[in-house]
Amino acid sequence: MTDHPQDQIALEFDDVSMRFPDGTQALADIALRIRAGEFVSIVGPSGCGKSTLTRIASGLLPHTGGTVRVDRNNVGFTFQDATLLPWRKIQGNVELLMELRGVPASTRAAIAREQIELVGLKGFENHYPKRLSGGMRMRASLARSLALDPSVFMFDEPFGALDEITRERLIDELVDLYMRKGFTGLFITHSIPEAVYLSTRVAVMSARPGRITETFEIDFPYPRRPELRFDPRFVETCNTISSALRATLETAGPAQ
Amino acid sequence: MTQTITAYPPTPPKPPMPVGKRLALTLLPPLLMGLALVLLYAGTRAQLPEHRQFLMPGASDLWVQAFSRPDVLAELGARAAVTLSIAVVGLAISIPLGMGIGILMFRLKVMERAAFPYLVALQSIPVLAIIPLIQSAFGFGFLPKVLIVALFTFFSIPTTLLLGLKSVDRGIIDLFRLQGAGWQVILWKAGLPSAAPALFAGLRISAGLAVIGAIVSELFFLAGRGGLGQMLINSKIDFKYEQMYAALIASSALSIGVYLFFAWLGNRLFSDWHESGGKSS
Ligand SMILES: Nc1ncnc2c1ncn2[C@@H]1O[C@H](COP(=O)(O)OP(=O)(O)OP(=O)(O)O)[C@@H](O)[C@H]1O
Ligand SMILES: [Mg+2]
Repeated sequence: MTDHPQDQIALEFDDVSMRFPDGTQALADIALRIRAGEFVSIVGPSGCGKSTLTRIASGLLPHTGGTVRVDRNNVGFTFQDATLLPWRKIQGNVELLMELRGVPASTRAAIAREQIELVGLKGFENHYPKRLSGGMRMRASLARSLALDPSVFMFDEPFGALDEITRERLIDELVDLYMRKGFTGLFITHSIPEAVYLSTRVAVMSARPGRITETFEIDFPYPRRPELRFDPRFVETCNTISSALRATLETAGPAQ
Repeated sequence: MTQTITAYPPTPPKPPMPVGKRLALTLLPPLLMGLALVLLYAGTRAQLPEHRQFLMPGASDLWVQAFSRPDVLAELGARAAVTLSIAVVGLAISIPLGMGIGILMFRLKVMERAAFPYLVALQSIPVLAIIPLIQSAFGFGFLPKVLIVALFTFFSIPTTLLLGLKSVDRGIIDLFRLQGAGWQVILWKAGLPSAAPALFAGLRISAGLAVIGAIVSELFFLAGRGGLGQMLINSKIDFKYEQMYAALIASSALSIGVYLFFAWLGNRLFSDWHESGGKSS
């Protein structure tokens, strides 16, 4: 992992709230500071505003209260599905963001090839997305974001649509990428074990209107290996977070 | 209660059908249908009183009077070229114009609100009914015919394109917006490619209509050396029904040809990546 100046903040939500024009209060007073190099996962019930939070952080959605602090020029974003352009081959897809940023053609071709190799898609440069499996498409999507070498990387349930085995493999690869590149991560997920396995910190969100109710430091050393999932301390941490999540649901009442 | 267990043996795969049989199965039904139609034609012709049989020329007459004669063939070719040129120029007007309006409606919500109802309303005016007006306004040359073709083919283009542009994957748009891309870039790199297959399916139909429009337009303009439509009318006046049938056959061949060309082009352009495309693995 690359070293960051102590306590430099990479992403901060300062009492951020969001009320949609139709009156839906999606987020209330979100307070979360993410230091450079941290990898923070957010778990929360469906509909609590996790996607809304990442869309606000990235600038896709203007928020209605509080302050967001982040360098939006260096943000990587991975959506729930791969969102590849079906009419472009993998090479062209991985080049897309660089192209939009005006990176010269020869440079971006070389960078794209590098990233494609990094995510294990070498040999598939000239395939169209429709001929790739779901897991491979997600890899291509990761490569596309990595190509810009973002300093803050946001993931909105990127592996939600994948099967268990592919999912675990991709998580291992993501841990690998995180260690290699040292970006700051904001990871949204439904899965507590996934959050614990990946993160330096896990934040629990309550049902709508979403707030951060608790955060948990996860101090298992990196690199994390699959055996970690069977470690009693790992299981215990998952249980603790699971209880915290359930507690937020109980206080919120049976509305959801 | 006792259970009865049945043993199910494996089903051996069917041996592949011999090529000859497969070919026969695909070719025979349309051939038989064709034969039935020819027989129906011949039967109807036989029912007609002698002095009205000219309405349905027999195959031998068609051959002797039309398709075996080099002068008739040359005329068919030359006239088909005229018709095709009217159709193509008409499309060359309606396609860019229709796309431009589609893009404008996509870009400016106001334009969509303003124009869309009229596009739908105009579509319901029978083009045939305004041909006399076009004649009065633009005379009898090439231009009015081209305009008629453009009118025949225009309406579906902006509406299909708009629909295609509106159904671009929202995630893809977000992806572009995150990089600060402007609407032109989004239109060019995301909107148009994504809408292209739907637009092309519409164009394929417009192209077939263009030939029909060209022929219809000629029915109203008999001056000068025209295309197949004019030949249809002229051969009626000259009482050459064999040549009229020949022109009819050439017209539908032309229309089918143009349709097939666009179908082929669309397949070439999109089959590699579009869901509906052939090669899937
Ligand atoms: N444009 C919008 N207008 C009004 N309400 C919205 C809008 N977008 C989202 N919402 C509401 O805001 C709440 C939070 O939505 P969001 O998509 O952020 O939830 P989520 O936590 O990501 O859910 P999931 O886990 O199912 O993905 C939901 O109740 C949703 O209905
Ligand atoms: Mg979501």
